[in-house]
Amino acid sequence: MKPMTVFGRQKPANLEPEGRKDVNYSSQWRLMVLRFKKHKLARISLAVLALLYVCALLAQFLAPYSLESYDSKYVNAPPMKLRFVDADGKFHIRPFVYELQSTRDPDTMRKIFASNPEKRYALKFFVKGERYKFLGVIPTSTHLIGVEQPGRIFLLGTDALGRDMFSRILLGSQVSLSIPLVGVGISFILGLIIGGVSGYFGGWMDSVIQRIIEIIRSFPTLPLWMALSAAIPPRIPVVRMYFYIVIIFAFIEWTGLARVVRGKFISLKNEDYVVAAKIAGVGDAKIIAKHLLPGLISYLVVATTLAIPGMILAETAMSFLGLGIRAPATSWGVLLQEAQQIENIALYPWKIIPLATVIITVLTFNFLGDGLRDAADPYKR
Amino acid sequence: MLQYTLKRILLAVPVVIFISVIVFYIIQLPPGDYVSNYAAEMSVAGEVFTQEDMAAMRADLGLDRPVFEQYLIWVRDIVVHGDFGFSFNYNKPVMAVIQQYMGLTLTVSLVTMAFQYLVAIPVGIYCAVKQYSAGDYFFSGLSFLGMATPHFLLAVILMFLSYTWFGDPLLGLFSAEYVNAAWSMDKAMDLAKHMVIPVIVIGLSGTADLIRVMRGQMLDELNKPNVVTARAKGLSERKILLKYPTRAALNPIVSTFGWSLTSIFTGSTITAIVLNLPIQGPVMFNALLGQDMYLAGTWLLFMALLTVLGTLISDILLAWLDPKIRTEFRGT
Amino acid sequence: MKQGKYLAVFLVLITIITAGCSNNNAKNTAVQTNQTPKETKAAPNSEPAQSQASGTSAKEAPMLVSLVSAGTLPPLEERLPEKPDVMVEPVVDEIGRYGGKWTMAWTGPGDKWAVGQPTEEALFRFNKDGSGIEPNVAKSYEVNENSTEFTIHLRKGMKWSDGVPFTADDVLFYWEHMLTKETFGKKIYDAYYSVDPVSGDKALATVTKVDDYTFKVVHKYPSVQFLERVAIDNKWFFAPAHFHKTILPEFVGEAKALEIAKQWGFEDTTSFLKETGYYYWLYPQIPTLRPWVAKNDPNGDQFIMERNPYYWKTDADGKQLPYMDQLVATKIQDPSQRLLGTLAGDFNLSTFGAQDFTVLKENEKKGDFRVIPWQQPAWSTSGIQLNQTVADPNLRKLFQDIRFREALSVGVNRSEIAEIVTNGIADPIQASVPEGLVGYQDGWADQWAAFDPDRANALLDELGLTKRDKNQFRLFEDGKDVTITIMDSSQDNAKFTELLKKYYEDMGIKTNVKIVDQATLQELKYSNQVPASIENISVVNVAFRPDTLVPLRVLTPWYGQYGLFVSTGGKEGVKPEGDVAKILEYWDQIKAAKTTEEINSLSTEIVKLHMKNQWIIGYAGPTPTLVVASNKMANVPQNMIWADEFRSLGAAHPAQFFLKG
Repeated sequence: MKPMTVFGRQKPANLEPEGRKDVNYSSQWRLMVLRFKKHKLARISLAVLALLYVCALLAQFLAPYSLESYDSKYVNAPPMKLRFVDADGKFHIRPFVYELQSTRDPDTMRKIFASNPEKRYALKFFVKGERYKFLGVIPTSTHLIGVEQPGRIFLLGTDALGRDMFSRILLGSQVSLSIPLVGVGISFILGLIIGGVSGYFGGWMDSVIQRIIEIIRSFPTLPLWMALSAAIPPRIPVVRMYFYIVIIFAFIEWTGLARVVRGKFISLKNEDYVVAAKIAGVGDAKIIAKHLLPGLISYLVVATTLAIPGMILAETAMSFLGLGIRAPATSWGVLLQEAQQIENIALYPWKIIPLATVIITVLTFNFLGDGLRDAADPYKR
Repeated sequence: MLQYTLKRILLAVPVVIFISVIVFYIIQLPPGDYVSNYAAEMSVAGEVFTQEDMAAMRADLGLDRPVFEQYLIWVRDIVVHGDFGFSFNYNKPVMAVIQQYMGLTLTVSLVTMAFQYLVAIPVGIYCAVKQYSAGDYFFSGLSFLGMATPHFLLAVILMFLSYTWFGDPLLGLFSAEYVNAAWSMDKAMDLAKHMVIPVIVIGLSGTADLIRVMRGQMLDELNKPNVVTARAKGLSERKILLKYPTRAALNPIVSTFGWSLTSIFTGSTITAIVLNLPIQGPVMFNALLGQDMYLAGTWLLFMALLTVLGTLISDILLAWLDPKIRTEFRGT
Repeated sequence: MKQGKYLAVFLVLITIITAGCSNNNAKNTAVQTNQTPKETKAAPNSEPAQSQASGTSAKEAPMLVSLVSAGTLPPLEERLPEKPDVMVEPVVDEIGRYGGKWTMAWTGPGDKWAVGQPTEEALFRFNKDGSGIEPNVAKSYEVNENSTEFTIHLRKGMKWSDGVPFTADDVLFYWEHMLTKETFGKKIYDAYYSVDPVSGDKALATVTKVDDYTFKVVHKYPSVQFLERVAIDNKWFFAPAHFHKTILPEFVGEAKALEIAKQWGFEDTTSFLKETGYYYWLYPQIPTLRPWVAKNDPNGDQFIMERNPYYWKTDADGKQLPYMDQLVATKIQDPSQRLLGTLAGDFNLSTFGAQDFTVLKENEKKGDFRVIPWQQPAWSTSGIQLNQTVADPNLRKLFQDIRFREALSVGVNRSEIAEIVTNGIADPIQASVPEGLVGYQDGWADQWAAFDPDRANALLDELGLTKRDKNQFRLFEDGKDVTITIMDSSQDNAKFTELLKKYYEDMGIKTNVKIVDQATLQELKYSNQVPASIENISVVNVAFRPDTLVPLRVLTPWYGQYGLFVSTGGKEGVKPEGDVAKILEYWDQIKAAKTTEEINSLSTEIVKLHMKNQWIIGYAGPTPTLVVASNKMANVPQNMIWADEFRSLGAAHPAQFFLKG
C-alpha cells in the first residue's frame, strides 16, 4: 500500500486483477464493495464491530454474573489473574483462579484482597449460574464461562457493590450499542430529507426550513431533559426512558446534517449534469436519487459514522448529569460515570476499563466510516 | 449580496422573538420554581420554610403572576429599559452576572477555538495529502482517541495525573493567590498553566471532528477535474492546493462554523464543571437547575441570537467561498 | 519534484507546529514543577520571620500592629472590652501564633452556612459536650426561681467590627425593630413564647433594657429551656442598630429603602432586608461580632473574610484572637474538587462525609493532613421512613401496621448494607438514639435487626398479602399492587436504594425509586405524594429541636400530613391518632414544663414511643463526619459531636485554630 507521489492518489495497482474487467461494467454499489474490501483497517473494524454486536446480543450468556449479584465480600476487588501454573509450579491445562479472601484494613477501612493458593477454581465452560432468558426468550441458567460455587471469577475486578465488572460491561453494551443506532437513524433520515428539500427547491421553502432549523438549534436542551426526567413516571423501564431521550436528541441533531446537505445540494444542483438532466425532463425525485445523492454520499457516510460514537458519548454525558439510565440497569455511560469519582481513579483504577471499550467502539466506527468514505469516492479509480 | 443580507437580518427578528417565547416556556417546564428550589436548598442547611413563607417570597419576586405576564414584563423591560431582569441567586442584575464571567469565558473559548482550527485545518490537509502515511495514521489515531474519550472522564483523569505528578490538580483557572490579584506577568503565567487541561479536553474533541471532516473533504476535492486542470496549466502545487481543494473543502466546516460560536459557550459546560472553571457554562447550568429564570432566560436568548447570527455569518462566508452559492444568492 | 518539495515544506511546517505545541507543553510543565516547591517554601519562610519580629509576646496580629502604628486603628486596649469583661477562649492544645489563612471550599453564596457556622458568635452557645449552654456574647445571666425572668449581662466596652460600641440597645433594637416586626423574613421564634400548662395559652416575652450592659427577658409562664432554645433558634439576639437604622424602611422610609436596596444591587426591599438582616455575615458593609468579617463580594470565585480588629476574645495569655488572618472560601462546582483540593493541600481544613474516609485515610501521609472523625447524633445513616398518612388507603393501612414495618426491618440484611453502603464503618443496627444522648434505650439498636427473611415473609402473609402477580410481587386482597415508592433528591444514595429495592422485591414487595430534584421533593411533601423516603433523623435532643420526631410541620416524611394538621391548627391534613397523638401531648407538656428533669423524662417518653412503633426504620448506624485538617493546622479538637444544634464546626471554636510554622 505504498502511496503514489501524485497527491497520494492510489494507483489502481492493488485492485484484484480478477475483478479488474468487471469494474467497467459494475454498478456503483458493486464498486464500493470492491473498494471497501481493500481497506484493511476498515475490514478489521467491521469484524471487531460485528464481534461487539454479537457479544451484546449474547451478553446474558457470556457474562458469568447478572447485574444484581451484589456481594459485600467482594467490594472493589481488583481483576483476578487467570493462572496456568499453581503455587507448587505445577502446570494445569485448564486455567484457574485462586479463591479470593478479603479483609478490611482497620485503619483506612479499605478492603484488602488476597488469593488463597490452597484453593483453586478451574475455569469451566457452560456453567450453571443465575437464571436468565437466552436472547430474551429461552429461560436457562447456563453461562459460557464461570467457576464452581462458592468460587468467584472477576476477570476485570468488581465495583463498589461487589458486582463483576466484566459482566456489567458486557450487559451494558446492549444499551450502549443498540440505542445510538436508532438515534442516528432518525437524525439521518430527517436531515437528509429536510436538508435536501431545502437545498434543492430553495425559495420560500428553504427560508422556512432554515428558520425552523435555527429555532430548533436554539432549543435549550438541558431544561428539556430536566422536565422530561421529572415528568416520566417512576416505574418506566430505564432503558425506555433512555430511548425517549435519544429520540429527542436525534430530533435536535438532524439539523446539523440538514444544513450540510442543503449546502451541498445548492452547489451540486447547478452542476452541468444536473442542469442537463433537468432540461431533459427528468423528475425531481430521480435527479435527487441519481445525481445529487451520490455526490454527497461520502460526506453522509463520514457524518453518520461520526454521529454514532457521538451518540454513545452523549449517553455518557447524560449519565454524568444524572439523567438517563440508572443502576442497576447498566450502560457504558453509567459505568464511566461511576469511574469518574476521584476515589475510584485513585484507589480502584480498574473501574476505568469500560473507557477502553468505549474507545474501541468509537474508533472502529470511525475506521469503518473511513473505509466506507474511501470506497464511496466516485473519483477514485 | 447586500440585499440578501438585509433580508436575512429582517427574517431573523421574528425568529428571535419566537425563540424567546420558547425559551421562557421551557425554563418553566421542570416542576417547581426558584422559590421552591431556594427553600429546598435552605432546608438542607437546617432552615425551615413554610408554604406561607414561600408564597410571600413568590409575591415579592413577582413569581406568583402567570407565566405569560412574567414574560411580557421581562420583554418590556428589555425593550424599554434595556434591563434583562434580576438574578435571584446572585441578588444582582442579570447583566452584572453575565459581565462578571464574560472575560474569562471569552478567553477560554477563543483559545480553545483557535487551538482547534489552527491544529485541525493544517493537519486535516496533511492527512489527506499524505493519505495512509504514518503521519496520517498517527494524527487520525490521536484525533480519534481525543474524540472517543468522554470529556468529563478525560478531565478528571488529567486532573488526577497532574495531581500525582506535580502535586497540583490545577483546579479552576487561577491558583488561589491569584484569584483576586491584579493582572501581572505571574498571573498570566498562572492562567496559561491552568489552561492546559481545558484546552486539551475541550479542544481535542472538536479538533478530532474537524480533522476528520477536513481530511474527508480534501480527499474528495483533490482528484477533481479543476485540480487536474490547474495542474495541467502548470500552476505551482502550493497554489493549487490552497486555491481550489482547500477552499472547497472548507465548505462544510464553514457551514457549521456559525454554530460553533454557541457551542464554544455551552459545549464546554460539563468540562467546566469538572475542572471548576469560572465561566458561563456552569453558571447557566446552575441557573437552569435552580430556575433562576431571568438569568437563564437571558443567557438562552443570547445563545439563540448567536445561533441566528452564526447561521447568517456562515451563509455569507459560504457565499464568499463558493461561487456557485453566490449566484444562488443573487437569484433570491 | 515540485510536489515533493512542497510536501517537504509542508512536513516541516507540521513538525514545527507540533513541536511548538509539545514545546509549550513542556515549558508549562516545567513551570509547574519549578513553581510549586518555590511557592510552598516561600510562604513558611516569610511568616516565621514576621512572627519572630513581632515576638511571641505580641498581643495582637502583626497586620494590626502596623495599622495601629499608622494611626488608622486605635490601640488594642481600646479595641478589647474592659479587662474583666474580655472573654478568654480556652485553647484546645496550645497557645497559637498569628498569621496564615484558613482555606476552604464552598459552593458559593448558597452555601452561606459553610462560612456562617464556623464564624458564628451566639449570645449563648452550647458547651463542649453539648449538655448545656454557656454565655458567649453575653457575659453572664441570672434566672429567677420559676424560670420566668432572665437577666442577661453584656460585656462592657465590647465593640462591633467597625469600632462602634455594642450595648443593650443593640439587643433591644433587634427585638423591637427587626425580630418582632419580622423584617428579615423569619417569624418570631418559638423560644420567645411561653405556654400556660393549664390553658395552653401562648404568650410572647417582653424584653426590657436595665442599663447599657444589662437587659431582661420576662416570660408570662415558666420557660425552663429558654436559653437553650435561644441558642438554637436565635443564635444572635442582637444586631448593629447604627447600621440597620440606615437601611430599615421604618427609619429611612419605603422609597429610600428601595433606593438603597437597588444601590446594593437588589431588586426589592424584602430580599434586601432578608439578606442584610439574616445572612448579614456575607456582606462586607455590615458590622458583626465574628472573628472574621466579610471582605469582598461573596459571588466571586473566592470569598474572603478577614480578622475582626475589634474581636472581643483573647487566649489565656491575653493575645487577641483569632490567630489566623483570613478565612478564604474558594468556590467549587463539584464535590470531587473539595476532595482533590484537600489531597493537594489547597484546602487546609474542610469537612467530608464518611464515604470519603478510605481515600482520605490512604492519602493522609502524602497530603500531610489528618482525618478527625466527629460523631453525629444520627439515628441511622441508611434507613427508610414510611409516610403514615400516605394517600392510598390500602398502603396507609399497611404502613400503619406495625407488623409491616417489622417485616421490612427483618427482611433486609443489615450487615450487607453496612459493609457496602458505609464501607463497613457503620454498625448493622436499628435506627435508635445513639448512646450518650437523652432518650438512649438499652437494646433498642438490636430491635428487629437480625436478618430473617422467613419471618418477614411470614409477617407479610399474616397481613393478608398472599396473592401474587405474574412477577411474584405481592398484591392486596382486592388485587391491587403493593408498591412502595421511595422518593429521594440525590443520586448519592444510589447504592443503598439499589440494595433496598433488591431486598424488598425478594420479599415480594414491588419497590420503585424515584429521584427528583430537591425543589420537587419539597413540593411533593406538601402535597402528600411522598410515600416513603430514605431521609435520616439526626437530633441531639428532641426537647431542643422537636420537628423531626414530633409532627409539628410538614417536611419530615414519616408523619406526613399529621404535621400539616398541627401546623395549620387542624384546618388541613390528617388528625393524629394513637401514639402519634400521644407524642404531641408529651410535647405540649414539655413546652409548659417547670424543671429540666421533667423535660428530660418527657423527652424520653417521646423517644420510647418511637422505639415502640419504629416509624423510622434504620439499616445501618451513624457514621462520623470527617474533619480533615492540614498537619499545620493546630488546635482542632477531637471527640466532638457534629450537630447543627452545636453549629457543626463552630463547636470547635475556630478563632483559636492556628497554623504552625
